[in-house]
Amino acid sequence: MAERNNSPLSIRGLCKYYEGFHLEDVTFSLEKGTITGFIGRNGAGKTTTLNAVLSFIAPTKGQVRFFGLDMASHAEEIKQKTGFVSAGMTYYTMKKLKTITKVNASFYPQWDDRAYRRYMTRFGLDGNKTPAALSNGMKIKYALALALSHGAELLILDEPTSGLDPVSREELIEIFLSLRDEGKTILFSTHITSDLEKCADRMIFLRRGQIAADRPYRDFAADYRIAECVGEVPADIQEKSLGACRTRDGATVLLRGVDAPAGSRVPTLDEIMIHLEKEEGQ
Amino acid sequence: MKLLKKEFSLCLHPAAVVFLGLSTLVLIPNYPPAISFFYVTLGIFFICMAGRENHDVAFTLTLPVSRQDAVAGRVLLACCLEILQVVLCGLLAFVKARVIGLPENPSGMDANLALPGEGLLLFGLFNLVFFPAWYKDIRKVGVPFLMASAAVFVYIVAAVVATYALPFVRDQLDTPDPAFLTAKALFLLFAFVFYAGATFLAFRLSVRRFEKQDLQL
Repeated sequence: MAERNNSPLSIRGLCKYYEGFHLEDVTFSLEKGTITGFIGRNGAGKTTTLNAVLSFIAPTKGQVRFFGLDMASHAEEIKQKTGFVSAGMTYYTMKKLKTITKVNASFYPQWDDRAYRRYMTRFGLDGNKTPAALSNGMKIKYALALALSHGAELLILDEPTSGLDPVSREELIEIFLSLRDEGKTILFSTHITSDLEKCADRMIFLRRGQIAADRPYRDFAADYRIAECVGEVPADIQEKSLGACRTRDGATVLLRGVDAPAGSRVPTLDEIMIHLEKEEGQ
Repeated sequence: MKLLKKEFSLCLHPAAVVFLGLSTLVLIPNYPPAISFFYVTLGIFFICMAGRENHDVAFTLTLPVSRQDAVAGRVLLACCLEILQVVLCGLLAFVKARVIGLPENPSGMDANLALPGEGLLLFGLFNLVFFPAWYKDIRKVGVPFLMASAAVFVYIVAAVVATYALPFVRDQLDTPDPAFLTAKALFLLFAFVFYAGATFLAFRLSVRRFEKQDLQL
């Protein structure tokens, strides 16, 4: 229990009610030195959860604790150990990176200038450039360099790979993996699930404002099978279906591993998410 | 202080600095001097608008600071510009009246010791209307500025009318220095107290509203 309390991030019963959308009873804890994928389709509530976690919005109910501490009374201490990186956020587009860095560094007593220079070199960033002159991937890398140079132990990443080309995405994933090896904890929100197949230790699947699954990645993937049916879906498969999608020749059906007929295959995360969403829609 | 440094380094809009230079409008004969104060409020609006486009609030709130600190940084930046403008205006008023020796101003306050006080009243009023309205919803900066500008223009008209219609203003404050220096000094002191009080109240109200606000960042 003590280990749970000191989890880099622990969320209990988080609710946020908007007209037309409810984030309902979101509960999970992150383990130190792991990458957790936070997936769900657009509008599932991923960003609302992250906004509530970061106190950008006030939750209707629930508790968020970082490193065992409550944000309301330990905001400064928590933010010293946490980095937030969002693909959709570009700060001060016309200011030089070195100007932004200088300001940023002044807020962190443990700022490590050598580490900053090392990350800037590793990521191929030039302090004399402005954010406006950077590609989306480079902006993410710059945000990571800032977060890592102030010694962030927990990184909260909101759609960090969205809008990036495959090579840049691969490059970022390698960076995340090496950060995990250094003991950093990463919460990685995305709807590009193929990125998580390469790096996530654990999956949290959010559907319509509620956690639909929270499992270690291997278990999550092993739980399901895809049956590819040509023509009509047989009745026995239809009965056990968790969701079906039409294909050119018939349909693919998501099943629990124990219910899967011979010849069924392991699905990708994309397929699991799409089929489960289909079931919800039906 | 770190936040004030951040405001100057990352948020200060070039137009705000240029508008400070418009303090020299005080030197123009027959120009309503209170208008030159309005330009500084326009500079503050530009800063807030550019801040919105640059995700300034999101950047600030990911730093190890509270929402109250974030409001304090912005209000302090505005105060720095306003006080600088008032000081510049006071100096230029002295230059206009005593060095260049231009005649009295028929369209508003003369270039004298009471003039910076007129500016402090205007800035106090602007801060009191603008900041609490803006921090109610930081995505909307135009409407709060329109509201504050409306209040400021009513004040400017009232200030000009007062130099003709209110005996104390007409006969004592709107006179060349060194006449009625005590009355002008007391007016300046009153204006400073009003400015400090109104700005502090604006800060408290802004913090209260900002802390309640859900930020969709």
